[in-house]
Amino acid sequence: MADLEAHMDKTDAQSILVIDDSADIHHLIDARLKSEGVPIHHAHDAYSGLQAMREFRPDLVLLDIDMPGRDGLALCREIKDDPTLSSIVIIFLTGNLDVETKVKAFDSGATDYVTKPFDAVELRARVRSGLRTKRYLDMLASQSQIDGLTGLWNRSRFDAVLEEEHALWLRGGRSFALAMLDIDHFKLLNDTYGHPFGDEVLRRVADTIKVGLRQSETAFRYGGEEFGVVFRGLDLDSAVRAAERLRLSIAGLPLAMGSKSVSMTASLGVASVDLPGVSGVNDLVACADKALYDAKRAGRNRVGRSAGR
Amino acid sequence: MNRLLSLFADDPDMTELVRGFVARMPARIEEMRAAAADPNGEELLRRLAHQLKGSAGGYGFPTITDAAGKVEDALKRGQREEALTDLDVLLGLCRQASAPAASSDG
Repeated sequence: MADLEAHMDKTDAQSILVIDDSADIHHLIDARLKSEGVPIHHAHDAYSGLQAMREFRPDLVLLDIDMPGRDGLALCREIKDDPTLSSIVIIFLTGNLDVETKVKAFDSGATDYVTKPFDAVELRARVRSGLRTKRYLDMLASQSQIDGLTGLWNRSRFDAVLEEEHALWLRGGRSFALAMLDIDHFKLLNDTYGHPFGDEVLRRVADTIKVGLRQSETAFRYGGEEFGVVFRGLDLDSAVRAAERLRLSIAGLPLAMGSKSVSMTASLGVASVDLPGVSGVNDLVACADKALYDAKRAGRNRVGRSAGR
Repeated sequence: MNRLLSLFADDPDMTELVRGFVARMPARIEEMRAAAADPNGEELLRRLAHQLKGSAGGYGFPTITDAAGKVEDALKRGQREEALTDLDVLLGLCRQASAPAASSDG
């Protein structure tokens, strides 16, 4: 469960972003939250606030409601409508609110508010409570994205990670590659030796993939007997070599039904984001799938290499 | 002149911060005076009062927060004359704001 642990490590290191047009408020919040030991980022308007959110991925935003230009309520709605930002906990910084504005604030997706001028003890308590909520949200999110049988990330996480990597790549980030892996003749294994044996095969393959993963690689159960591995920072050649190692380690797995040893192999298809005709995540998956299909047709237990679309 | 001492004068965590806030006060006073004198400066004045309302209390000057709130409130209601009277009170308090002396002075 290296992935999950890495994910938990990330949630352990939480951070805060303050968006307020008044420099005095930034100084105050820094001083008053220093004891919490949480890194604090700063932005002075809605626009730079959004940029900072994309860059620093804060867990909690202290957001001024009344700012020149786009105000806090509008910004909060925008954050909550953006799937990559919507889990961020928003606490409004505000003057005294009438009931109508309070309702608007919560309806826009805020978790809480602190009235200015704020009391230091109250601010710390509300921030702590907001960060605690975020930690629970992160845990729930990661649990709902884990495949129960194998402990790998599931399909929904697969889609999300590929979209994130692709967005990063479009902004000039690192290249990445994708391998799709399918267990050969899985249906036959299942039908011959029974479903509990089939489940055992899936777990063993998942464990084998996990053991070989590097820090920059993430494995997923895509569905059924199909798995996906994302190789960050690898070009097509390197990813094909990594897939070949994976194929060998799976073909060498000692499997037995009673005293009878059972042989099992897997086929893989590899594609990289910089291939011709790959303009989105769907293209990338289609290319890897096509390469996997070619590997199957060429006799299975081999790695197919995509040439793009 | 009466001195208005921060409520956090004895809080070592806040000393530097309050000093900075007080040191910026003359510039802030000048900004508000200029905004009040400018026929198109009403929105700026409202904003400056609003910011001061939100921050002064946090630096240990709740009376400044209250006075700034009155200026903002009068401007929101379109009562310019009233706002300017309230502004005089606010600026008076701002001039009196003082920080604890630096420890090296004593």
